[in-house]
Amino acid sequence: MGTLKYNWIVDKSDLVLITGANGFVGSKVFEILLEYGFMRIRCFVRSSRNLAELRRIAEASEAEVEFYQGNLLSRDDCRRAVKSVSLIFHLAAGTSKSFAGCFMDSALATRNLLAAAQEETHLKRFLSVSSLAVHSGFQMRPGDVLDETSPIETNHMARFDPYSYGKIKQDELVVKYGKDHGLPYVIVRPGPIYGPGKRALNGRVGIDSFGIFLHIGGSNRLPLIFIDNCAEAIVLAGIIEGIDGEVFITVDDDLPTSRQFLRLYKKNVRRFFSIRVPYRTFYYLNRIWEKYSKWSEGQLPPVFNRRQCATYYQKQTYSNKKLKDRTGWVPRVPFEEASRQYFEFMRSGEERK
Amino acid sequence: MIRVGIIGCGKVADKHASQILRVPDSEIVGVCDQEELMAAQLAERLRVRLHFGDSQNFLATCRPDVVHITTPPQSHYVLAKQCLEAGCHVYVEKPFTLNSEEAVELIGIANASGRKITVGNETQFMPVARDMRRLVQSGYLGGAPVHMESVYCYEFTDERYAKALLGDKNHWVRRLPGGLLQNIISHGIGKIVEYLPDEQVSVFATGFTSRFLESIGETGIVDELRVIIHDSQDTTAYFSFSSQIGPALHQFRVYGPKNSLIADYDHQTLIVMPQKRYKSYMNQFIPPFSDARQHFANGCRNIKRFMRREFHAESGLYFLIKAFYSCLIENRPLPISYRDILLTSRIMDSIFTQVKCGNWETRVQ
Repeated sequence: MGTLKYNWIVDKSDLVLITGANGFVGSKVFEILLEYGFMRIRCFVRSSRNLAELRRIAEASEAEVEFYQGNLLSRDDCRRAVKSVSLIFHLAAGTSKSFAGCFMDSALATRNLLAAAQEETHLKRFLSVSSLAVHSGFQMRPGDVLDETSPIETNHMARFDPYSYGKIKQDELVVKYGKDHGLPYVIVRPGPIYGPGKRALNGRVGIDSFGIFLHIGGSNRLPLIFIDNCAEAIVLAGIIEGIDGEVFITVDDDLPTSRQFLRLYKKNVRRFFSIRVPYRTFYYLNRIWEKYSKWSEGQLPPVFNRRQCATYYQKQTYSNKKLKDRTGWVPRVPFEEASRQYFEFMRSGEERK
Repeated sequence: MIRVGIIGCGKVADKHASQILRVPDSEIVGVCDQEELMAAQLAERLRVRLHFGDSQNFLATCRPDVVHITTPPQSHYVLAKQCLEAGCHVYVEKPFTLNSEEAVELIGIANASGRKITVGNETQFMPVARDMRRLVQSGYLGGAPVHMESVYCYEFTDERYAKALLGDKNHWVRRLPGGLLQNIISHGIGKIVEYLPDEQVSVFATGFTSRFLESIGETGIVDELRVIIHDSQDTTAYFSFSSQIGPALHQFRVYGPKNSLIADYDHQTLIVMPQKRYKSYMNQFIPPFSDARQHFANGCRNIKRFMRREFHAESGLYFLIKAFYSCLIENRPLPISYRDILLTSRIMDSIFTQVKCGNWETRVQ
């Protein structure tokens, strides 16, 4: 815990709400809050998935843990969820593949929670978990540093990425409630989160949409963050004093290159055939796809386009300096150990297959 | 120029909007959702000038020629009535209404006000369905259909639908009188109704919850349905809805007195079964090659359509919207007749009644 020289805005006895508490990140945030000594936690979940495990962890602790099953699209559920809370960790997110679905699950759900939260007199901070994907690599040059000031995507239909659209709109609403209603907030934008519990190989390494794995990342650094590191960053951004209204990019320190990561994956999890596609080649293929999509009036939707290509595969560096300076966060698990745990988990999944 | 409005700005509205924008001489003049943020997001993405949170205000301000209603079915009747009374033509997403009484009333209002209304059974306008229609109309079956089989499967592994439904105990689909069945089966029943010669039909239906759903504690959802339909001219049909059949088929077969047809909606293939017998072993040697030739020809036709930009995933929806708009402008017949809408509705009512009571037979007059 690198927090000694930083003051907290809450006491350990204050009531804390986690939305999406049974998700991949939510359950780890829950564990870290218990580890930090929080005594009253309310877990808001939509489904009963993973709930037994959370209950087991809760019972093993001395904390008073409430489990509340509901839907953030219901304003009543939101009101009940935020009642008397001092701190909200809003992690629930949509995984729909449609724009409307992502908007509903991310933005609309957040709006309901914000509206309920602004009426809560005890509330000291609303911590909103966004995504690094809200930034647009298309408006950046190769080699630029991506930090909190980097451009946000504005052409949503051209980018054709419902998830990032939902998160952009979620961020806008959080900022709006901060401005219009004085709601104290912090936004965290983690890079792709990996670790035990996450089954897929991250898309920033490459794609397997055409039956063969196309490795596109090459020597780019992957803006990854290990689950334990991410959860602790979220917790710190929620409790440290003096950072209201701030946004934090959250990535690990020792980022592997895409090539290194793929090599390790093949060595430790499973071997498979992959073809290296240079970034420029992939970029122009995306341009052709985009043109075809337009010409054919969407017969093939523009799922491959230059904006996504630049955002996910253009060579960039990523800065977590602000997060470290302002919250005292340091990654608790280095890449070597993190990748070992992740690959072991993936390998066990492969063996079960 | 046809001025189009959309009420209901969820996932289905996106599909509608993308196809409306492809129809020549049409423009979306406004979108509306009772949750105004949803209307705002659709308007922003599609660059629609006006968005609303109130349907009365939307109709009064935008004065659209046609309104697409893409809300959950519980609100179809009220909104469609409001639009018709405001002088708009209406395209209602499937299922048309919650029951046949509402359907009768809406069609009555449409007729009285000189407006037109249709339902979004777009699978009936996919390329393979149009090919089948052409063949049937040309007399290929050799008379009225003797029997039909419609299989419509649903995948609980398809997270677009199933995750939303299973993950939400208050999902609107659960609150429909016919539950999950009501939201889906009009696709399969509509295909049968189109070729049923008579409106006097008997319906025999049985439905139950699959063991899969029972195993996850979802005992309230009926996801297996078997139906027999029998009309007064002795045309019969089977309809099967299943979440457990693998692969999840979407097929429709029409058996005529002379020849028969099989349409596969997933692969967009239409196979003809001509009444032709070969001598001796030739009857086992030649037809398989003839079938292979048909599948090959179907593949080529699909590729050709793709090359001609006619093979969009939503091509059925596009065709239905376009046909509906032409019917408004050029006074052509409706793409889906009122008779078909009402009969589909009545058969569905009968199915839900039987599934609910466990009765095997009710007669539909």
